[in-house]
Parts: sequence; C-alpha cells; structure tokens
Amino acid sequence: MSTETPAWMADIDSAALTALGAIEAAATLATLREAEVGALGRKGNVTALMKRIGKLDKSERKAFGAAAGGLRGKVTRAVSARREAIVQAAIAAELADTTFDETLPGLDGAPGHVHPLSRVQQELEDVFISMGFSVLDYPEVESEFDNFEALNIPGWHPARDMQDTFWLEGGHLLRTHTSAGQVRAMHQFKPPFRAVFPGKVYRYESTDASHDHTFHQLEGLMIGRHVSVGHLLDSMRTLLSAIFKRDVQVRLRPGYFPFVEPGFELDISCQVCDQKGCSVCKQSGWVELLPCGLVHPNVLRAGGLDPDEWQGWAFGLGLSRLVMMRYGVNDIRLLMGGDARFVEGFHPGT
Amino acid sequence: MFVSWNWISELVDTTGVDPKAFAERFTLSVAEIEEVVEFGAGLSAVVVAEVVKISPHPNADKLRLADCDLGDRQVQVVCGAPDLKVGMRVPFVPPGVTLPSGITVRHGEVRGVPSPGMLASEADLGLSEDHDGLMELDGCDAPTGTPLPTAIALHDVLYEVDNKSITHRPDLWGQVGMAREVAALLNRPLKPLDITGLTFGDTPPLDVAISAHGHCRRYLCTRLDGVTIAPSPVAARLRLRSLGVRPINNIVDATNLAMLETGNPLHAFDASSVRGDQLIIRQAVEGEQLETLDGETRHLAPTDCVITDEQGPVALAGIMGGANSEIVATTTGVVLEAASFDGAAIRKTATRLGMRTDSSARFEKHLDPETARLAALRFCKMVLELCPDAQITASLLDKGAHIDSPPAPVAISTSRSYLRSRLGLNAEQLSDAWMDRAFSALAFELRGEGDELVVTVPSFRAGRDVGIAEDLVEELGRVFGYDHIPSEAPQVAARPPYLPPSKLQERAARQALAQGRGLTEVVLYSFESEPFRKRAGLVELSAAGHAEPRLRLANHLSADQTHLRRLLCNNLLSAMEDNLLQGNRAAEGHKGLTIGLFELSRAFVPLASNESAHPAADPGLPPALTDSTARQGYLDGLSDALREGATAALKSTAPLPWQPRRLAIALGERLGGGQQGLVSAPKAVSVRLFREAVGAVEDLCRQLQRPAPQFKRQPSVGQLPDGLIRHPGQVDLRPAWLHTARHATIAVDGRFIGLVSLIHPEVRSRLGVPAEVALVELDLDALLDVTAVPEQGEAPPKFPPSAFDLTVPCQPSVRADDLRGVLAAAGDGVVDGVSVDVQWVSEYADEGTDAFGRALTFNVTSRNPDGSLTDDNITQIRRALLGSLLDHSQVRDGWAQDMITHHS
Ligand SMILES: [Zn+2]
Repeated sequence: MSTETPAWMADIDSAALTALGAIEAAATLATLREAEVGALGRKGNVTALMKRIGKLDKSERKAFGAAAGGLRGKVTRAVSARREAIVQAAIAAELADTTFDETLPGLDGAPGHVHPLSRVQQELEDVFISMGFSVLDYPEVESEFDNFEALNIPGWHPARDMQDTFWLEGGHLLRTHTSAGQVRAMHQFKPPFRAVFPGKVYRYESTDASHDHTFHQLEGLMIGRHVSVGHLLDSMRTLLSAIFKRDVQVRLRPGYFPFVEPGFELDISCQVCDQKGCSVCKQSGWVELLPCGLVHPNVLRAGGLDPDEWQGWAFGLGLSRLVMMRYGVNDIRLLMGGDARFVEGFHPGT
Repeated sequence: MFVSWNWISELVDTTGVDPKAFAERFTLSVAEIEEVVEFGAGLSAVVVAEVVKISPHPNADKLRLADCDLGDRQVQVVCGAPDLKVGMRVPFVPPGVTLPSGITVRHGEVRGVPSPGMLASEADLGLSEDHDGLMELDGCDAPTGTPLPTAIALHDVLYEVDNKSITHRPDLWGQVGMAREVAALLNRPLKPLDITGLTFGDTPPLDVAISAHGHCRRYLCTRLDGVTIAPSPVAARLRLRSLGVRPINNIVDATNLAMLETGNPLHAFDASSVRGDQLIIRQAVEGEQLETLDGETRHLAPTDCVITDEQGPVALAGIMGGANSEIVATTTGVVLEAASFDGAAIRKTATRLGMRTDSSARFEKHLDPETARLAALRFCKMVLELCPDAQITASLLDKGAHIDSPPAPVAISTSRSYLRSRLGLNAEQLSDAWMDRAFSALAFELRGEGDELVVTVPSFRAGRDVGIAEDLVEELGRVFGYDHIPSEAPQVAARPPYLPPSKLQERAARQALAQGRGLTEVVLYSFESEPFRKRAGLVELSAAGHAEPRLRLANHLSADQTHLRRLLCNNLLSAMEDNLLQGNRAAEGHKGLTIGLFELSRAFVPLASNESAHPAADPGLPPALTDSTARQGYLDGLSDALREGATAALKSTAPLPWQPRRLAIALGERLGGGQQGLVSAPKAVSVRLFREAVGAVEDLCRQLQRPAPQFKRQPSVGQLPDGLIRHPGQVDLRPAWLHTARHATIAVDGRFIGLVSLIHPEVRSRLGVPAEVALVELDLDALLDVTAVPEQGEAPPKFPPSAFDLTVPCQPSVRADDLRGVLAAAGDGVVDGVSVDVQWVSEYADEGTDAFGRALTFNVTSRNPDGSLTDDNITQIRRALLGSLLDHSQVRDGWAQDMITHHS
C-alpha cells in the first residue's frame, strides 16, 4: 500500500484541465458541443481515460474508477452549467439588441382580389338563396325568340331596332337583358318557384361614363298560384332591405315593359339623405332603382304555363349600377377595363 | 313632351290644385316627369306699352326714340329694333328690373339720350330663343300699363314628361289625353273639345285615292278659302313656344296647335300649288325625289309613303310636307290633311332619312285613326278663330280602310274580383262604385252582372295599349295609387333553393385563385379586339396554323367588336400587356414584377356543321315549343300583332353556338433592360412563370376536389396526347399564342381540360413591353364533369415512413415526371405491403457541355402501414429503383450500376 499519488492521477488532472478548460472557453452552443464531444464522446479524452481501468491493477481500479467517474460527473455538470450560461447570455443579448427594424415592409402572403362585380353578385345571390331563391345561369348568345317574342316584344317595338341589339351573322343575338332567361326558367322548374339569374347583357350603343355596351344585370322571377301587386311590394321591400342591409322604403310608378303587366319603375328611399332631400335624389327623397312588374300572360304561355293557373312577378336589377352606387365608381367603363389596379383598389376576398 | 297646366286647366277644373304638388301624383299614376318648368315667371314688373311716336336718334342712325304710353304716364326710350312702328303694343321693362334672362335694365343713357327702361323681345323676357325684333302684343286688348302676366296668360307650369315613359300611350301625345288623366285623378269631369259651329260644303276638296293601304289607314281632307296669312296672335304664339314649337304663321300654327291638343299631326297644303284635282297616297318609287319644307332634297325608297298630286310627291307622309306646296305669304286657299299613317312604316322612313319630326314621333306611337277626325275639326275651328275671314269651302272627305271596314271595339271579359286580387285589394278597399267611376273617367265602358265584367276599351287606348285584363289591372291600380296598396308577404312553397354546381365551382375557383394564389380577377368584354390580335401577331400565327372559326357580328360599333371571342386568353393577354405597361409595381405587390390575372367567363364557339343535332347543343327555343301542336296552341293564344313575329322567330331559330364556361389565367413578368422585339426571356423566368401557372391549376383542382391534373405536351401540335377525351366546344388545341415547345395539355382523370403555355416567342417579341407571360385556358364544364375525389375519414398511419433522396444525372431533354414515373413503378411491390412514393424535389443544371449535365433529385418515401421498415427493406427498395435506371438512355451510363455497387 502506498500513500504516494498514483501515476494516473496526473493524467486525470490533465484530462480535467483540458476538458473543463474547453468547456469554459466555449462561447456558443456549437463549441460547447465540440468540447463536450471532445471530453465525453466516443473518442473523447475523458472517455479514453475511462477505458484505461481495465489495464490497471485490481487494487487501483476502485480509486481510479471513483476519480474518473468524478471527473465525468464534473465535466457533465460543467457542460450543463456552461450551456445554461450561454443560453442566458444569448437571451440577454437578444433582449438588449436595439437594432431590430420593425418598420420593414411585410413579406408575401398578400391575397389577390376578386372583382367587385363578382363580389356584389355573390353577395346578392346569397341574399336571394337565404330567401329560397334558386340561382341560375343562362346563355349570353340567345335566339331572337327567347330575347324578344317570348317576352311579348313584337317586331314593331322600338327596342327591336338594329341600334339597340348586337346581332350575329346567322340570326342569333347577344341578349339585351337577363329577362331572356325567363322562359328558360319556367321550363326548367316546376311551378311554383322563385329564382334569380345574373349575368352579362349587351346593348348596341355608344359608350360614355354611364353607358357601356356590355353590363351586368340580375333578373328575379317568382311564379305562384296567386301573385299580386301587394306581393310584389312586400317582396321588393324585403329583398332590397336585405341587399342594402337596412330598412328600405319602395314605391311603384307606372313603367312600360312589354313582358310585365302592369309594369313598374321601382323607386327606393334615398340611401344618401334618408329622404330628407339631397342632390342624388333631386330633393325628392326617392331614387329610381329597377323595373319590375307582374309577368305578362304571353310570357307565361311561352314558358309553358297556363296564365289562368299561374301568375308571377319579375324584376331586373342593374348589377353594374349597384356596384357603381355602392363604391362610388364614376365611370362604368372601369368595371370591364381590365386594369388590375382598379380591382386591387377594393378589399381582397369574396 | 310637355304638358301645359294652363291648357289642362281649360279642359279640367283645376281650381285649388297646386300644379307643382300635383306633379308627384302625376308621376306616380301617369308618366315620369323629368322636370317641372315655370314658363314666363318673374315678369310681373313688365307692363303693356303702346308706341305713340317715333323720332330719330340725334347721334345714331340705327337707333330711334320711341314715345310710349304706359297708361298713367309716357316715357321716351331708345330702341334699336327695326320693326318698331307707331301703334304697336309691346312689353315695357322699367329700369331696375332684372329679367329671367339675367339682364338688369338700367336707367341710363344710350348714345347721349336718356332711356329710362326698354322695349323687350321674346328672348329678353326668356320666352323664346328668338331675338328677331320686338314682342308684338297683337290680339291683346288689355289697357296700357297692365302688368304683362295679367294682360296675356303668360305664366304657365309645364311638366316635361320623359318620352320613353309614354311610348306605349299614343293618347298621351296630346294635351287632351293628359287632361283626361288629370280629370280621372282629380275626380272631376273632362270638358269636351269645342268643335261646334263648323259648316262643311257639299263637294269634296279633291279626289283622294289611297293605294298604300298598309301605310295609310285613314285620310281626311277639306279645304278652307279666304285665308289671310299672318302671324298668330301673341297668346297662340306663346302657347306654341311654351311647348317647344316655333310659331310660323296662322295656318301652320293651327296645324301645330291642333296636333299638340289632340296628338294627331296635320298638314296644310297651299291649295293653289296642288296640281290637278287628285291626291294619291302611295308608296314612293325607287329614284323618286322630294324637296321637303326644310329645303333638303330627299331620295325616296319604296318603303316610304308619299302624298302625290298630278305631277308627283307633295309631301312625305306623316313626316314633313314638300316645299312645292308650302303655305306662303300669298296663300289664300288651304287644303288640310288629317291622316293616320302606320307607325312602323313612318318609323322606318324617319330612321332611314334621319328625320325625326314632331309628326313622325307621334305617328310612330301608332295613333288611333279616330283621333284624326277630331284633329281635323279642331284645326278648322282654330283657323276660323285665328283668321276670321276664312271659310270652309268643301266637305270633310274621309277615306281609308278604317272607314271601309271599321275595327270592332275591343271588349275585355273579366271580373271585379280578379282585378282586385291582382292588385292585392279587397272590396272594402276598392269598392264597385270606385271601380266604375275610375273606368268611366278613363272612358272605358262597363257592362256586366254581379262580379262579371265586360269592359269596352276606348278606341284611343285599344290599338296596342289595352287589350287584356292585366291592362285593366294597371288602369285601376295607377288611378287608385300604388302607394295606397298594402304590401303583403306572398305565400311561397318551402323548398330548398337550387344552386347549380357550376355556381359553386366558380365560387371555389375564385377562392382558390384570389385567396390561394394571390391573383386578381378581371371581367373583360366578350368581343375580341382585332387590332390587338393583329399587332400581337395572333392573326398571322393562327393563319399559319389553323384558324378556328369565330362568331361574327352583323353590326358593330368599332373594330374591337367584330367577333365574339372563342378563347378568353386573347383578351386576357391584351389586358396583361396593358397592366405590364403600367410599369413598376414592385413597390405595390408582394410578387415583385409579376402580375397575375384571371377571368371566369363564357367563350363562344360556333357549332360545327355536323354538331347542330348534338344532344348538348341548346336549341334556342323553349322545349315545349319544339313540338308543333304545343307551338300552335301557344301561337293561337297570342294577339295578331305578336303572332306573326313569333311564328317567324320560332321557325327560323337555329341551335345556339357552344358557350362554354372558361377559366383563363395570365401570369406576366416584365423583363428588365431588354428592348422591345429583341428580348428573349431568361429561361429561369419562363420556368418559374410556367410552374406558377401549373401550381395555380393544381391548387384549383384541389380546391374543386378533383383529382390532380396531369401535364403533357401534345405529341405534335394539334394532336391530343394518347387516351384523352375532348368534347366539342372545348379549348382549341392550337391557339395562336401557344408556344409549341413550351406548353402542356391539362388532363384530369383522362379528360382534356385545357392548356397551359408560355406565349409564342413571336407574340412575345411583338408585345408593347418586354415581358414573359404564361397563359392557362381551361374548360370549367369539363372539369365539373370529372367525378370529385371522395373524402374519407382514415386513421393516420401509426408508423413513421422512411425516406431517402436520389439524385440522378441525366440529359436535359428528360422529363422529370417521366423519370419519376419509372422510379415509382420500380418501387411498387418490391417489399410486400410497403408503399413507395416518389416526388421530384429539385434540379441542378450544369450549363457546361456535358450531355448528362442535369441532375434531378427525387425524394423516395416508403411506408409500411403495419410496422417499421428495416434497413434491409430500404436497401431493397433503393436497389430496385436504381435497377430501373440501369438501361435508361437518358441517364448517365454506369451511374446506376456504380450506385448499386458502392453505395447500397
Ligand atoms: Zn337624397
């Protein structure tokens, strides 16, 4: 038994010095990891030291084991302590950093834009759906019959003149109103039914800020056993209140449209001044909004319905005009001008 | 059309009615009033003066001094009017008065002579635009000094009625028709027009023959002699002025006054100018000419109707008289024409010759031939008043089909309860007595027992206006006042509304492209711009390839509207160019210089000759009317006026063209630096835009719950890749903008859906801005036809997958998806129950000369649903995949073998 220091003690001290020195010197988690691997990894110096135990005398093994194990524990604790220190220092440094520029522009992810015509159309469709109206879609190139005769518009009617209609070679035409879908709807559904059909319509006329040769309408049609002017009044007030999201008053004036009888111009209470009188309503409190009326029996006949059995009301709402009213668009030609900047001026989304 | 309240008040007692307040009731019950105009207001300070002496102005040749009697005093004023004469009565404006024209009359001097006031013209008083001479107050008996509004019925309230709102009401084109409405609304009687005291001769004025029966249904004619042509009295002149008609002379003014009153236009010939003793109403002969009253020579066509004497035309029927028979200063005998011409024929001629006159505008409304007689009588009465020496010297000749076979009165059978129910009123709200009164006020006659009614329509409403019970509903409703009808919720069937799948699809597509891809929706015209197509080279390219037929318009307003678009992308490309030209958007958008547009719309594709019987083709007719019995039943139910046109339209209807719903996408990027026409796009930009377009289509299919789309080049341009189905009306295989080397067909579930392509380099070189653009055009209906991918709630796999990458050196011409397919097929079934998924990850292209300088990296994911994968499993799969590339001609020789040997 000797009390002198064993030879391996120096090696342990040296290994401790190397390992702990590297750990203390580590300034980042990466260098700390290197130091850790350098000590405790498969080829680490502490690991190498531990392997020497097999070559020692049995008498020495216990002492060596205790010393080496102690070293490993010491190194492990040093790594933990160092890691914690590095992490805390990094957190402190980040929190102390004053160079972060929160004013740089946002990146990516900006949504695109749906056209206001589509948005308003969809919004209206949803209002009508909520009130039990079906939504339909009909052709834009139509037959003369569907666009005119079926709607009780005979050949002598001024609306039939060449100057109002785009004709195709061969006799078809571009529908001049969504009303062209009325007889289609009557054949598509078993009465009673109620439906709207929005879409593009065309007029052969020169354009200015308030007229375009192509614009959008939304037709409404209700067919039932008994449909009266009183019903029309109630339906229009309810529907328009839902569309304008507020209580709307309506009034009917005589208006002549061959496919309705009686036919009306419908005025709504001025949304700008609440009927107090303003320039928009020319001080009258009323603004002309849409034509409507009770479906003419000839139209019911063309739709395959017996006028003694079925009655109806119909209206035609100017979608383009509604978009212009709602968003203050002062030139209708902007709607179909194809300029992305116009569309992007509206809120994104549908 | 103007309504004169003064005139109305001569025919109805309007005591106690404020015309301005009444205007609203009129609008709600009769016709839309555009404006209520006050005529002759603000003139109460103007007085009647009589010129008693005229002396020269000492300092000016063109001015004179007029001594005027103002009743209580005399003044001398300076006057420049050449027509000044002693004894004439004129309006005098005292100094300090501001006239409606804005002029303030001063107490001043004119060339050194004091002039305290002024003698006024009609224009000075704001009564007309006519500045010629002083306003002569002839026919005004009021003492001098009387305020002008008292002396003559100067002040009037005029309703300017929107002409469009009375096109269907021929009776409202005369004041008497308007007065009847006012009488009905006020519940006061309408006074009859005065046609008393007229004595006609025994002999007809002329012989009249009508050969153009279709054009002229009635022709009345008489003659007056002893006429002295002179200006009409001031009251008549003002009345014409107020209604927008220029006074000419007493005879012409009488024709106009009678027209304004009754609505039926009249014409007066100078009797001595009519050659021979016969008038013939006939169709014009090709090449015939007539100088009309406005001095223009009109070249006539056989569709026109003319009035001719022995030597030729003397009037263009219903539109304007001829210069050769004009009433002139020396006229003493007048031949009056009061006729009823066919509205459609008059409209046709007036439109063809560009002559819309007060007369043609009225005839176009299809006037009641009965009114012509009333107009003739009122004319005679007025001439006798305006021209006291005149005498009627002939009988009132009355000819035409209307006289030979007068039409039967229109009688409508209905019931009181029906009329009430359509308005939504009950018998308490709308009593029998009220109904009787309203109808009779409008000149409808009622018969019938109890609830049943037979209503006879007055002739002036019977033409094309009132013919069915629904028309009577309107008559009652508007007199009752629609604002007094209580609104009532309709009883409706509780059924879920139908929303077509196409609508839901369009909504989802917008969502996917706008929200998901950040694209901007545009709505473009259906017409194709030919100028753009030419400039962008699309015309040349389509001619060189295969020009697909498009629908052509028979009439168009500009070169932008000659054809309907067969593809959406042409217009979208044009819009893209415009947007790119708008310049640098880097600051605005998140995508830098890239602009992304999309459009959902219909395209228009003509039916091929063999497609007209295609089951999907729209016949353009209501289905019930394609059956001949049903069609006849329908036609029999129509009025004569409609039946003829409906028969023709039904007969001539051809099936409609294809109108497929399309989606088009354009992704464009402005290229910096290059010059227009010389720029070639960097391949990286082209690849990125193309891949963004592909990604948009993939997103779209995902959003629409359709299987993932497949992208394949056409084997040769115009040829569908093997196995794809394409229906008529779908996207063309070779649109002009198609880049023949950089495009793909889009297929979903074996169906052709559309195309994605970069623009043809020729098109790119011709754009007005250096740019690269990728286009997508696809058929929404075809996509809708593909069965949706079913959704299933599957439990997620319990065991993690195992993945490795494989980087394959290959030739640049290899298609990544082909290689991916080879690998995926090789991995399939290598290990029982293990699925192998291969995805392309990235590529590296060496620009050098190595033929295998492209490296494609794939990620291989293997998954065993029942357990973990062993290292052996992975090695097996890896070997199988590499094995599949051993003999691949586009993969570097020996590479796969080497990988198997050394790295597995
Ligand atoms: Zn207002």
